[in-house]
Amino acid sequence: MLLPTLFLTAALLGGVRVGAEGGAIRFVPPPLITLILASMLVALFARGRALELGGWLSSELSAVENVSHALTLACLFFASAQAFNSVLPDAGLLRWMLSFFFLWTLWQNQFSSFDARRLLRSLAALFGTAFVIKHMLLASLYEPGGGWLKWLAGAALEGVTLGTLGGEPQSSATGYVSFFTLALYVTGLALLPPAPHEEPEASTSKQLQVRERVVEEGESEAVAPLDYE
Amino acid sequence: MRRRLIQWVGIAWTIIYASAVVWVYATAPQSVRDVATGASVAAGTYEVDRARFDAGRTLFLREQYAAARDEWGRADPARRDARTQFYVAYSFYRQGWGRVYNDDELFRRGLEAAGRAISLSPDSPLQVEDAELKIHSAAELKAELQRGAESSADDLNPLKVFRERK
Repeated sequence: MLLPTLFLTAALLGGVRVGAEGGAIRFVPPPLITLILASMLVALFARGRALELGGWLSSELSAVENVSHALTLACLFFASAQAFNSVLPDAGLLRWMLSFFFLWTLWQNQFSSFDARRLLRSLAALFGTAFVIKHMLLASLYEPGGGWLKWLAGAALEGVTLGTLGGEPQSSATGYVSFFTLALYVTGLALLPPAPHEEPEASTSKQLQVRERVVEEGESEAVAPLDYE
Repeated sequence: MRRRLIQWVGIAWTIIYASAVVWVYATAPQSVRDVATGASVAAGTYEVDRARFDAGRTLFLREQYAAARDEWGRADPARRDARTQFYVAYSFYRQGWGRVYNDDELFRRGLEAAGRAISLSPDSPLQVEDAELKIHSAAELKAELQRGAESSADDLNPLKVFRERK
């Protein structure tokens, strides 16, 4: 119950936008690009063994267990989509740029030699950059009542981007909600086991065992010369 | 047995919570009050605030049309009451009516309100018995608004200035 609750709360809060004037709340559903990014991210989780789909959905499990696990995975998917939704600008050139950066990173990792740590670092950097751009840079540019310097910077940025920034003033509460959303999402990921009856740490020890075995086998091959006869 | 029970409870809880999230995004409330209003509509317990409705009607009769619509907006925040929407449409009509020309924007919004009033009374045509009004059916009001919003050769008729506002 804990994991679906965490992920569904992240999914609920990921689309919240608080208007600058009057504090009106808007709920922005996840755009198509975030669904695509979420699909690629979940595929990478599976590829990196952070998620063993065979352990979650299997004919060896009962129907109730399969339904329960499928719901948890669906919650993970939508929480991922909403996590992207919360850090991507709602419209304009910057939205497409950041979407492209996310897409490129996830796409490259689908086919390159996979390193889960590198993926997590690059994702953390991208999420962090997108968060700063959206909730700090753009928010301060479009904040009503800013000084002339802020107005000048905003005008210059609009000029460089040919007026395609497409921003809308939002309350600072939006940034806090987004931060909380990401915190919930990351907490959910940390608590998510690779397989339902496995602890998250077990996968690390299992990987270490596999790595040791590979190293030992490699050493034994190096010691014993090949016999060509 | 206990484990199975926990699984069923977890499934039920997840489905309920997910349905609530989908509902929130479908209804798109703008405040906590809107959430409560939407919940009451979904539960079938929604009611118009009669006191605010009557206050709005008083303002309407004093030709304070914008203020009247504000009160009716508070009386019927979910726009689910056919009678209230009829009055809203009527206020747009009276405010937008002009002896020489009509305010197209107000008439357009009046048409939307009249359409809502008609759609909220599908079982029988909406009739409002109010001695202060000259139009008593939503269909007639809608026709009047449509006529006023359209441009036609009749607009050039100089005798038009003698027509009466309903």
